[in-house]
Amino acid sequence: MNRSYKILAVGVLACILVIALTPYIWMLLTSFKGRLDILSPEPRWFFTPTFDNYPAVFIDKAYLPLVMNSLVISIATTVLSICIGAPAAYVFARNDFPGKEDLFFFFLTTRMAPPISIAVPLFMFFTLIGLTDTIYSVVIAHTTFNLSLVVWMMRGFFAEIPKEIDEAAMMDGRSRLGAFVRVIIPMAAPGLAATAVLCFILSWNEFLYAFILVAFEGRPLTVGIPGLITPHGTLWGQVAAVAVVATLPILIFTFLVQKHLVRGLTFGAVKG
Amino acid sequence: MSSQRISRIAPRESATLHREHVPDKPLQRPRGRFLLDRGASLPLILPATILVLIFLVGPFGYMTYTAMTDLSYANPDQNGAFVGLDNFRHLVRNDPIFWHSFWLTIRFVLVAVGLEFVFGFAIAWLIWRFVERQRLLTTLFLVPMMLAPVAVGLIWRLLLQGDFGMVTHYLHKVGLLSQSSAVFSSPSLVMPTIIAIDVWQWTPFVTLIILAGLMSLPKPPFEAATMDGAGPWRQFVDILLPLLRPIIALVLLLRAIDAFKEFDKVFILTGGGPGTISELLSIYAYRVNFKNWDLGYGAAVAFMVYLVVLIMCSVFYKAVYWKSAGAAGR
Repeated sequence: MNRSYKILAVGVLACILVIALTPYIWMLLTSFKGRLDILSPEPRWFFTPTFDNYPAVFIDKAYLPLVMNSLVISIATTVLSICIGAPAAYVFARNDFPGKEDLFFFFLTTRMAPPISIAVPLFMFFTLIGLTDTIYSVVIAHTTFNLSLVVWMMRGFFAEIPKEIDEAAMMDGRSRLGAFVRVIIPMAAPGLAATAVLCFILSWNEFLYAFILVAFEGRPLTVGIPGLITPHGTLWGQVAAVAVVATLPILIFTFLVQKHLVRGLTFGAVKG
Repeated sequence: MSSQRISRIAPRESATLHREHVPDKPLQRPRGRFLLDRGASLPLILPATILVLIFLVGPFGYMTYTAMTDLSYANPDQNGAFVGLDNFRHLVRNDPIFWHSFWLTIRFVLVAVGLEFVFGFAIAWLIWRFVERQRLLTTLFLVPMMLAPVAVGLIWRLLLQGDFGMVTHYLHKVGLLSQSSAVFSSPSLVMPTIIAIDVWQWTPFVTLIILAGLMSLPKPPFEAATMDGAGPWRQFVDILLPLLRPIIALVLLLRAIDAFKEFDKVFILTGGGPGTISELLSIYAYRVNFKNWDLGYGAAVAFMVYLVVLIMCSVFYKAVYWKSAGAAGR
């Protein structure tokens, strides 16, 4: 009785897994298909793979610089968010001051703010100071919303380190800041790494801010994607190739941070 | 609002410094020895605060101001004269497309998040009850949610192509789709399709977090209930659901806030079409601002989007404040 339930449950889960994964696998297959295989009305699961789509879009259509832009934007955003956000999180974890929780909530609103509402005035502002169409504008925009993730996640990680550790480090003659940099940061390293990877993912996947702030120079991969779709004669093999490059690194990263994913996605509310 | 809060800190800051110079004056509040002193904590917390003030509160203030002007890049006569609340008045009273988008977005949020919750909860429960090696399986389930939303839009556009889409083909074969036509140009199919894609993408999110909640449930209440002869259904309703309530609230709110802001996928899939049938609020705000270049009115629309999200956000904060939810999650 119990055993048959279990078989039924595993069967259902297997079906769901197929539904969850097949679309992505199809995209992966499409990126290795020739034109005829893609346009065949009968879906072709088996075909002679071709590798033409990748060079066609990344070299001939010059999408390779977009990958570089995505990388530079994501890495710069991550480094900035961590360097600015982690110290603030440490203060939230250790210190007490009037209005602390209000300020903490205020940081949350930066992550929750609808991009469309912030991007419009940000666009006007960056136009004013001549930063639109540069990587800097996107890095700044991404940093503001990633900051809140760092502050919210790292507060929890820092709070888990007993205060006695700070105390011991200071007994050894370290200054308050010295204790933070030399002792607390290394102890929080796993959490810090997970937070950094999540920042990277969020920045890499982001579309709307980048789409509004940079049209040509400095646009990341996500912004380059819509340009490949035309009303007629979209080259789906090339589109799929871009989509694969835009998603595969993230999936690998996901496996790395799975342990901390729950915490990151719930702003530290659920430990997972 | 926040600048007030920060300025509230500043005067006390000087008071602390003052206290240090007068050691015989008793401390008003006993403070733990290992709290950072103000002098050391300010440089740590200020950069983050200032950055957010400049690049978030600044734009927000500017948007609020722009919303009260007639600024438009498309019409040279409208060069940003102050018009008070005219934009909002027009928005609320005479803009059927705004209200169409608004209710469309509300319906989208309710249906999509509702379905995601039901499916996500069921899957999490199945994994929790019947699967031993949960981590590997959960990771595989997560794939749709980790993809860039733009890529999700692309994938489904490819799958649902009229003449050669893989999913279209099989749906037609099973008889669920009358003819192999383009789903996204059909007024009656486009929103259900977008909702289905959103459910495909975000159900794993619900699963992941509910599963984390299930795995952290304490054992004793269930053991006691079994001893008292309570069946599985009673245990589910009377023990499991109440224990999970903070996490359920958290998941629903986070998803609702995100769904309300939905832009990327729909932009790639339909661009709001056909006509305005799938024009969610974000897409409408985008169109007013960057297609019509009607920036004053667009700012008013963006302001309304922000307002709704802010309300949901403060509900989130009140309902599942991170400490209490953390205690439940442990």
